[in-house]
Amino acid sequence: MQFKVLLFIFTPMEKQLEDIKAIREMMEKSSKFLSLSGLAGITAGITAIVGASFAYFYLLRYPGATDFNRFQEMIILLADAMLVLIISIGFALYFSWKKAKKKKLKFINKATLSTIYNLGIPLLTGGIFSLILLFRGNVEIIASNTLLFYGLGLVNASKYTFEEIHYLGITEIILGIAAAIFLYHGIIFWTIGFGVCHIVYGAIMYKKYDLK
Amino acid sequence: MANIISNLNKAFDSRIRLGIMSVLMVNDSVDFNTLKELLELTDGNLASHIKALESLEYIQSSKQFIGRKPNTQYAITDEGRRSFQEHLNALEQLIR
Repeated sequence: MQFKVLLFIFTPMEKQLEDIKAIREMMEKSSKFLSLSGLAGITAGITAIVGASFAYFYLLRYPGATDFNRFQEMIILLADAMLVLIISIGFALYFSWKKAKKKKLKFINKATLSTIYNLGIPLLTGGIFSLILLFRGNVEIIASNTLLFYGLGLVNASKYTFEEIHYLGITEIILGIAAAIFLYHGIIFWTIGFGVCHIVYGAIMYKKYDLK
Repeated sequence: MANIISNLNKAFDSRIRLGIMSVLMVNDSVDFNTLKELLELTDGNLASHIKALESLEYIQSSKQFIGRKPNTQYAITDEGRRSFQEHLNALEQLIR
């Protein structure tokens, strides 16, 4: 009798483990943006470092004296930032689209849209606010401002994608606050936040999720 | 032990029904085609399992129109959520 009960328990054990695995997989697959690629982070990081180096070595080191120069610098700085943003988003979409294809996931699903929407609101707000700061001449605080809004956006969107995004967001927020305290070294914190952190988190995520 | 096994819900014995319930546990509502793609099923296969879960009142459907196309949305009921949670607890206890 005892033996019979044991046999009955042990045979379906495998099935129950498989069931739990299937449940977890289906919950994740249906509610999370899993095609986000680690390579997107790595390329965004490299682009940010190149962009920041350009800003630092060609513009900020030789602040223009006349008003005309200042305006010109502002426009070049803005173009530099926009270029970094567009290239990063372009690569992020490309690598994520490729990963979705490889893993046979649907690229555009509810979770993708939720991620974009929840990241987009703080990001757009921060972007507009940064533009206002730029045209009002408060250039020093912009690095801190972009880090803070980006970090808040990541934390906000992280429940629809990988948990690492949550910690990346927290890191960006801390760097943003640091950049506000050490106001005149903002570009260093910006480079760490958008450059180094993206590369580090991108590499971690690439190793953890993409190589499998 | 025997008591725990009896807590396993027979309705969730099939992997497909398990899948449907899992998706609806974490999404407010999901339409037929999304479910079909997620679970990699044919129309008929999915429909029969949905029907079974609907008749148990574990899930509910609501029809709406997107343009002229009918679109059926599925959502989990309170009863469904409770039953699935019980099933999950039983599974967890069994493999402990």
